[in-house]
Amino acid sequence: MSLADAIITGLQTTVVGLCTVFAVLIILMLVLKVFDVIFYKPLKPAQKEEVKTEKVVPVVKAPVAQSAESEDDEELIAVLTAAIAASLNTTTYNLKIKSYRRISNNTPAWNKAGIKETIESRY
Amino acid sequence: MSFLGETGIAKMINQMSASLADGNFLQVIGTPLMIAIACVLLYLAIVKKFEPLLLLPIAFGMLLTNLPMEFSQKLMHPQFFVDDGSGVGEFIDGGINIQKIVSEGGLLDLLYLGVKLGIYPPLIFLGIGVMTDFAPLISNPKSLLLGAAAQLGVFAAFLIALVLGALGLGFDVKDAASIGIIGGADGPTAIYVTKTLAPRLLPAIAIAAYSYMALIPVIQPPIMRLMTTKKSRSVVMEQLRPVSKTERILFPIIVTIVVALIVPDAVSLVGMLMLGNLAKESGVVDRISKTMQNELMNIVTIFLGTTVGATATADTFLNSQTLGIIALGLIAFCFSTFGGLLLGNIMYKVTGGKVNPLIGSAGVSAVPMAARVSQVEGQKENPSNFLLMHAMGPNVAGVIGSAVAAGVFLAMFK
Repeated sequence: MSLADAIITGLQTTVVGLCTVFAVLIILMLVLKVFDVIFYKPLKPAQKEEVKTEKVVPVVKAPVAQSAESEDDEELIAVLTAAIAASLNTTTYNLKIKSYRRISNNTPAWNKAGIKETIESRY
Repeated sequence: MSFLGETGIAKMINQMSASLADGNFLQVIGTPLMIAIACVLLYLAIVKKFEPLLLLPIAFGMLLTNLPMEFSQKLMHPQFFVDDGSGVGEFIDGGINIQKIVSEGGLLDLLYLGVKLGIYPPLIFLGIGVMTDFAPLISNPKSLLLGAAAQLGVFAAFLIALVLGALGLGFDVKDAASIGIIGGADGPTAIYVTKTLAPRLLPAIAIAAYSYMALIPVIQPPIMRLMTTKKSRSVVMEQLRPVSKTERILFPIIVTIVVALIVPDAVSLVGMLMLGNLAKESGVVDRISKTMQNELMNIVTIFLGTTVGATATADTFLNSQTLGIIALGLIAFCFSTFGGLLLGNIMYKVTGGKVNPLIGSAGVSAVPMAARVSQVEGQKENPSNFLLMHAMGPNVAGVIGSAVAAGVFLAMFK
């Protein structure tokens, strides 16, 4: 193959090849744009799950440290969201925490001591 | 006393004196030199951790095939697969003589059939498919363009290889295509194309492809810094939208159909990739998808690596073409990075600064190294910037892109 032939073949293949690669991927891109229109409804999931979340929140006995003031609220909510998502086997996108409250522990001191002793005696 | 003549040392000395008599000086030290190269590659795999999962079996295969042994004792006979004119392989109409390989071949000859017949690379793609998450791509379809632009290196290296071939390095159009595909930064794809178009270059191309993939964190950053501004590198991109399960399931099915309609030769790679992905995303064949990404993939990786390494014998590997391939592979990687960044910059301009051009370089398909490089470079400019998921989009698009480029070459030159 002469140098001129090599350059011509090379350029032809490059043009055909790059155009094919772009054509295939652009078609896929258009398909994905259609996906975007059909499947993605930004607000709906949040509304749907709100009811569910309210039911769930009181059940979660979050071990909140007593110093938890408004400053680390965001962090706490992130932790709660992740914990609920994990236990409900869903993603955090579907959840919206509206409120949370600590459920106080009313167990008498003697019972607590008994539980502690039982647990420790297992080891 | 006849045992002494049976030892490896005796055989190596015989070989050396035979090559010396032929005046073939490079081959005189061929055996020890190849063993030394194999040991260097083992060092790179074990100590430097260059793609050890592949480089370790490749290097050990190289060691096994270059041990001084009788022809009949050898584990691998590359002459059975590539017609070197010696008549050893007894080729039938230019095709391999399977009867002869089965009756006389060593262990690695038999395993190499999986490469020669095009079985291993698609099976590796099956496992990669299970491990790949296409969600970043589905939520940001523009990434596909970056994955296509980063195939520039494939064609640039092809062109340069063809010109060098015309200038006397002995590469024909098929060799050039196989060398070009190194720029796809995708080992199985490179092996799949090379075993069909230029089997004699297989060891050099496979080693170049895997070594440069390991070197991506060294090759890409200087080009990235050169082609982007401080301002564009610190762009924080919008958060990706969540992707529903329906989309994740439909995507692999549609990709397979679209690719088949345009480039049927790419289907054995893309089809397997998407089968693996569908197995994961559908969630109904958990056991199968676990086998695909663990046991099956590991088994195939062992066979593929060892046998590809074993094709690197002194007479196929020690020549100027190998050096040419190693140089062209680097050029291919640089051009791929350049192509991706170029389009990344255009997108940055067109969207008015919403796209960080650094994700363009992730269009080369080395998953996930290239995306990680984008992430690291982005964080150097803006420590609170997380580009990783944005870069995964072009990254997995690059896998599809390089498989399509491979299909184009196969369709044109097979």
